[in-house]
Amino acid sequence: MKVYLNKYLSLFPFLILPLVIFWNPSWFSLMGYQAYWPIIWLLPWALIHGPFKSLLVGFLLGFALDTFNSDVYSQIPGLMICGFWFGKVGRLNRFINSPFQFGLTGAIGSLICGVIYFCQMVANLLLENSPLWIFSYGVENIFAQVFLTGLLAPVFCKWLYFLFSSKYKFNI
Amino acid sequence: MVKFRRLSTSRWWNNRSTWIIIIFFSVLLIVRLSKTFIFRDLYYFITKPFWPGEYQQEILRKSLNQELNIKLNQLEKDNLRLRQLLDLQNFSADNKLNSSVILRNTDSWWKKIILNKGSQNGVRTGDVVTGPGGLIGIIENTSRLTSSVQLLTAPNSKVGVWNERANLHGLLVGIGRKNPKLIFYSKNVDIKIGDYILSSPASTILPPNIPIGIIQSIDNESEPNTIATVQLSANPEAIDWVQIFRMRL
Repeated sequence: MKVYLNKYLSLFPFLILPLVIFWNPSWFSLMGYQAYWPIIWLLPWALIHGPFKSLLVGFLLGFALDTFNSDVYSQIPGLMICGFWFGKVGRLNRFINSPFQFGLTGAIGSLICGVIYFCQMVANLLLENSPLWIFSYGVENIFAQVFLTGLLAPVFCKWLYFLFSSKYKFNI
Repeated sequence: MVKFRRLSTSRWWNNRSTWIIIIFFSVLLIVRLSKTFIFRDLYYFITKPFWPGEYQQEILRKSLNQELNIKLNQLEKDNLRLRQLLDLQNFSADNKLNSSVILRNTDSWWKKIILNKGSQNGVRTGDVVTGPGGLIGIIENTSRLTSSVQLLTAPNSKVGVWNERANLHGLLVGIGRKNPKLIFYSKNVDIKIGDYILSSPASTILPPNIPIGIIQSIDNESEPNTIATVQLSANPEAIDWVQIFRMRL
């Protein structure tokens, strides 16, 4: 039992992640905007497991999240890129697990995912010859997500990192 | 039952982690093919103890007075036309269904709410959802127990609306913000700030004359049509109880 819990500990937050996205807790929102929660889970996991596993997990995570929002646009490319990059950063052994590094890395990841998603929206609107009123809203939304993710990542990512790493074990 | 041999003599199908990945991906594929309906129905049971109670519904009745005042003015003027439309559309009070909001996603990129009524209650895609203040959105998909509502503020939301005073029709387009844009079909229209916007009687997806909002600002310099910003009278972020109008032809 202990072996399975220690080995598959990262799976439980992964299963809770869709619930958090569905629930959209208003305590962590600022003026109606929310942090980008998938990045907060992906960052500590990718730092530990490396770039190629994180690339695959980013794909699976984006695949699952796209299902909840029946949109034309996809979160898969952004999460794959972020997973690979986070894994590479973790492999360089320069990541010293400080709150500032978690916050900055999370914010950049949120920026990457937000920009990729927004580009898909803009491309779709251009194809439909629709006016681009969404542009100012989109830019505002991206920056708000980046700010909030950078604010919450040091707290949650550090906790998740300790949970996922081999230093933390269940003693049952 | 798969039996695993020692790792040193194993092939890919003897590797436990390979099977875990395959099973995990299969589960995700099933979730994807089912379009999360299984997950949403599971969420229905998880959140059931936390649904808003009847007390909130009583409090919200007070805000209906404002909507009813607007409706009363329109009903007196359009009584004959509504009777003709009712013959075509079979829209009556018998098709109303009360529902509570169990999930709210009104920020970020996605503008939707989830209700606790689904296909087993007779809800279908295309049904109209209203709340205290007026129109909130349209049902975009249903599971057996829940329904997803696309809000008027969603970026791909487009509904036909009109202003009765000037007899002007237009298209209300969601832009992701709280105040959607209203595109009129011509330039130099007789529209003023403060005019009421209602659902168009010419619309085939909405019942006629449901209050939607008020003109907040007008951009007279836009080309080739006049574009206005609308302040919605119903606020989906604050509403816990809604009504679903089951559209039946």
